[in-house]
Amino acid sequence: MKKTLTFILFFLIGTAAFASGIQPMDALKGPIDRVIGVLKDPQYQAADQKSRQRDKMWEIVQGVFDFQEISRRTLANNWKLLSPGQQKEFVDVFSEFLGNTYLDKIQGEYKNEKVLYLGQDTLSETKVLIRTKILRENNVEVPVDYSMLLRDQGWKIYDVNIEGVSLVQNYRSQFSQILMKETPAQLIERLKKKREEQKKI
Amino acid sequence: MINILTVFISGCFLLAGCAHGPAVAPSAAPADASFHQSPEALPDPSAITDSPGPGRQSNEAAVPDEVFEEENPGYVADPIEPWNRAMFHFNDKLYFWILKPLAKGYRAVVPRLARTGVQNFFANLTAPVRFMGCLLQGKGDAAGGEFSRFFMNTTVGVLGFGNPAKDYPEMNPPEEDFGQTLGSYGIGNGFYIVWPFIGPSTLRDSIGRLGDSFLNPVSYVRPLEAYLGVRSFDTVNDTSFRIGDYESIKDAAITPYEAFRDAYIQHRKKKINE
Repeated sequence: MKKTLTFILFFLIGTAAFASGIQPMDALKGPIDRVIGVLKDPQYQAADQKSRQRDKMWEIVQGVFDFQEISRRTLANNWKLLSPGQQKEFVDVFSEFLGNTYLDKIQGEYKNEKVLYLGQDTLSETKVLIRTKILRENNVEVPVDYSMLLRDQGWKIYDVNIEGVSLVQNYRSQFSQILMKETPAQLIERLKKKREEQKKI
Repeated sequence: MINILTVFISGCFLLAGCAHGPAVAPSAAPADASFHQSPEALPDPSAITDSPGPGRQSNEAAVPDEVFEEENPGYVADPIEPWNRAMFHFNDKLYFWILKPLAKGYRAVVPRLARTGVQNFFANLTAPVRFMGCLLQGKGDAAGGEFSRFFMNTTVGVLGFGNPAKDYPEMNPPEEDFGQTLGSYGIGNGFYIVWPFIGPSTLRDSIGRLGDSFLNPVSYVRPLEAYLGVRSFDTVNDTSFRIGDYESIKDAAITPYEAFRDAYIQHRKKKINE
């Protein structure tokens, strides 16, 4: 028993140390560079390759975004109104909705924007804020900050802040409004409908 | 009747005619946001953020409590919501039916270099608004930066069509306006207002815009038709750079009215704090 415990403890410390060995900025920069690489990759430029390209991007994004955490924070106190089954369903539907929304945009409108990494603020041992800027055409700079959390699997994004607008906060205010009048099941239904609409476009 | 309409519309443009410097539209690759001139916005009153409730600890890895305790940064009172929703709808149609087609056609015909020049020119004209905003907030260095940029762009940049100052970070401080100045004095949003043609605002920011319009030379263009023409031209030119931004934010929303309201309030809060 004691041995097992020691082993588990050792294992936990080991993974945490390993995970924290990777700097959060690298944990962010790696996937972003890979997404940009996929966007530029000649093999995906043909129209019939776009869905393969998208799948590839989605795979990368899923590795760095903590959708479970994003969902929980977005629903905040309403999270407990959902049954465990609904919680899982919500995470699935919401992350797919976010993926569709943003990946389609990036895929459709990427014009060689560059990402500048400005710095990182350490909020606590397991939380950091990475500040970046996206350079668009015409010298337009868009500040984008990523909030990252250290999980067992490494640093994961739990919020994105664009020009001062927190994504989690923005959805939270929409969902809390909806949940004042509707049930969690209806909210999930709405998201599903939205997702279906996206597929049609 | 027509007169009343003209006056009403021009009033709106007057309010809108203010500063907002070099049309920097937010809009990012991952999630575009552009609350500048784009029609709409709104926050959400129900912004009730959660207080830490018991029972939230479910199985998964701890969600730190602070998340649930912090105030909702996107909250604003919305007592005239029916009006606001109607105007949100109006601006949405205005964008899709008129502004966007115009901006697209314009973009197809006018080369980017010329459009950038026009954008620079109008941005340069609103330098007094930003300069005053810096002064009123005691930001001496930023005021100096604004002044230097105005001087350089007006001379070397030939009346502001060029933007040679863009390569000097100290000449490009965060853009200030009177609404932000009032906010920095501790004056709250008051309540949310969506103006036709202008988009999301609040009581405080509307007063700010009115104040800014006195410092914007474009506000003094007469006759009225000429003024409206100039304003429309500026708007179309500006929009030609950010076609798609508004759509992106709207598509990313589940309830667009609430999404834009929240985004507007959060965005302004950030600008006031910087």
